[in-house]
Amino acid sequence: MSASLALDSLTKVFDGAVAPALDGVSLSVDAGECLAILGPSGSGKSSVLRAIAGLDAPTSGRILVDGADVAGVAPERRGMAMVFQRPLLFPHLSVLDNVAFAATVAGQPKREARADARQFLELVQLEGFGERPVTALSGGQEQRVAIARALAARPRVLLLDEPFSALDPELRTDMHALLRQICQQLNPTIVMVTHDRDEAAVVADRVALLSAGRLLQHDTVERLYTRPVALAVARLMGGRIELPGEVGNGVHRSALGAIAAPDGESWPEGPGMLVVRHEAVHVAPLESAVPDGMVAVEVVVADRRARGPRAEISLACGEAMLEAEVPASRPLVVGQRAITHIPRSACTVVPLDER
Amino acid sequence: MAMMIPYGERVTPDDRTVAARPLMRPRPAGRTLRIVVASLLAVWFALPLVPLLLWSVASRWSAPAALPTEWGFDGLAAAVTAGAVPAFGRSLVLGLVVAAVATPLGAMAARALARGAVPAPRLVSGILLAPLALPAFVAVMGLTIVLLRARVPGLIGVVILLVAAALPYTVYTMRVAYAAHDLAYEEEARTLGASRGHVLWRVHLPLVAPGLARAAFLAFLVGWSDYVVTVLVGGGTIVTLPLLVASFAGGVGNDAVVAVLSLSAIVPPLVLLLGLGRFGRRYPTARYLTGPTASRSPKGAP
Repeated sequence: MSASLALDSLTKVFDGAVAPALDGVSLSVDAGECLAILGPSGSGKSSVLRAIAGLDAPTSGRILVDGADVAGVAPERRGMAMVFQRPLLFPHLSVLDNVAFAATVAGQPKREARADARQFLELVQLEGFGERPVTALSGGQEQRVAIARALAARPRVLLLDEPFSALDPELRTDMHALLRQICQQLNPTIVMVTHDRDEAAVVADRVALLSAGRLLQHDTVERLYTRPVALAVARLMGGRIELPGEVGNGVHRSALGAIAAPDGESWPEGPGMLVVRHEAVHVAPLESAVPDGMVAVEVVVADRRARGPRAEISLACGEAMLEAEVPASRPLVVGQRAITHIPRSACTVVPLDER
Repeated sequence: MAMMIPYGERVTPDDRTVAARPLMRPRPAGRTLRIVVASLLAVWFALPLVPLLLWSVASRWSAPAALPTEWGFDGLAAAVTAGAVPAFGRSLVLGLVVAAVATPLGAMAARALARGAVPAPRLVSGILLAPLALPAFVAVMGLTIVLLRARVPGLIGVVILLVAAALPYTVYTMRVAYAAHDLAYEEEARTLGASRGHVLWRVHLPLVAPGLARAAFLAFLVGWSDYVVTVLVGGGTIVTLPLLVASFAGGVGNDAVVAVLSLSAIVPPLVLLLGLGRFGRRYPTARYLTGPTASRSPKGAP
């Protein structure tokens, strides 16, 4: 049922637009893998999905499903199923007939199509809802039905276009759990568009980060956070620490001092920006021992902002600024001196300019 | 002097307003007024029908009498003799044919306009609505000559002109329907494997069905009630109910026949209107279920 998917320098220029909506996007998704396409509004995420679904024709580039080019193949023959942000349940059909839609248009007898649909309603934990009109569902239930309807089409690739962004946080968490359960049971190939980093991290195996129609990085969630390939990636992933400097002989020199590249990594020589996740920065009392593999930097607390159970603190190290998060109960006050321990393995150097 | 209210027993704004006069219930005066206005309107609409009903079963009704002076079915008999039954049939067919042609045409034009697939959309909308502004008589006089020169048979000419006259109504009604219509439903259906034909029959048409029913009703009325086009282009060979009514109404002493014919002219639109109210509604609402979700308004309803 699941298929692999590859995009080969996919480009889309809308009529009358100056900049392309998609600019040479290439990536691949293995069969049974869940890829999240992450990016800010207007980055071209949905354009990728619409091109894959066949709803918009790309200006150039290829889309390969199991190695076969699907250019010119009508959407209904591509074996994709799409779940949009709005559930788009057909209002003239009952919940069950919505889920049975794909089987019905494929020519299956009504009784079989409905029996099949019932299984998928069970899968999304809505057994017994089949006879209801779709207007009798809550927002979360509607989206569950939409997912059941898409899965019942036995898609080779399941396309999800910000499917949970209209739901409240609790429901969204439920839906993430549901999606993981579906992945375990059916192992579908999923391409999901989202603007939510946490959602991408929870649901996806790998993430493709888009910005202004370009693919910035296609990698595992962990590497996107810890090994961004560009400053834009670090910023889009919520990175807050940037230290300009210069790399010489594999050692980056900045206001923090000299930091050698972690084992197995090599940094390009010349000017470079050191980026570190603020989550990796550990604030320790003065004169505490420096653990192995850590870089110790003496700092002064410059600012403290309450964030519920956590507190964000800014740390001054000469001219440079570091950021860290500590439990709200830590009695660190502005002006206090401390030592920060930064794991060398958490450090990455990216080119100085935003490209 | 203000009354002393012990602390903790303060009158809340809710107590003062909601208990005394629930927000959603109209004040007695307003309610009475509404009932009076509604009754007056009902009388206004029903009043013209009363003499018609009386005349249709009257053989004689002399001027000062409040009620017919002689009851009977002379009017009905005269109407049938004059060919009311085939005329009724012709009008019915004409109305249905006009509806059957003008509704899909109007729907297609409206959809193209709504999707922005038309160059100079304002001009095109204007042209489509123009028959409303043009006095029918003027247009028909000119077109009769054109149709005659082009050797178009009278009946086809009548249908062509009536379809043109009905198009503003169907286009306008369908534009409203398509404004509320979401193309994403059709895209969703296609990704689920529905061909263009399936999308049309199983998604698109069911979703715009209420609009189509309204448009068809209006188009039917154009064909059903037409007089000018049928007379001028049909050249008097196509005798429809309005023609019959007009010819009897022009004479003297035909009040009973005219009453019978007029009443029969009301029946089909009335039946269609009732059917529209019954079947032209949107989809089942959440009344079906209990619970807090049940009170949600249906999404996508216009």
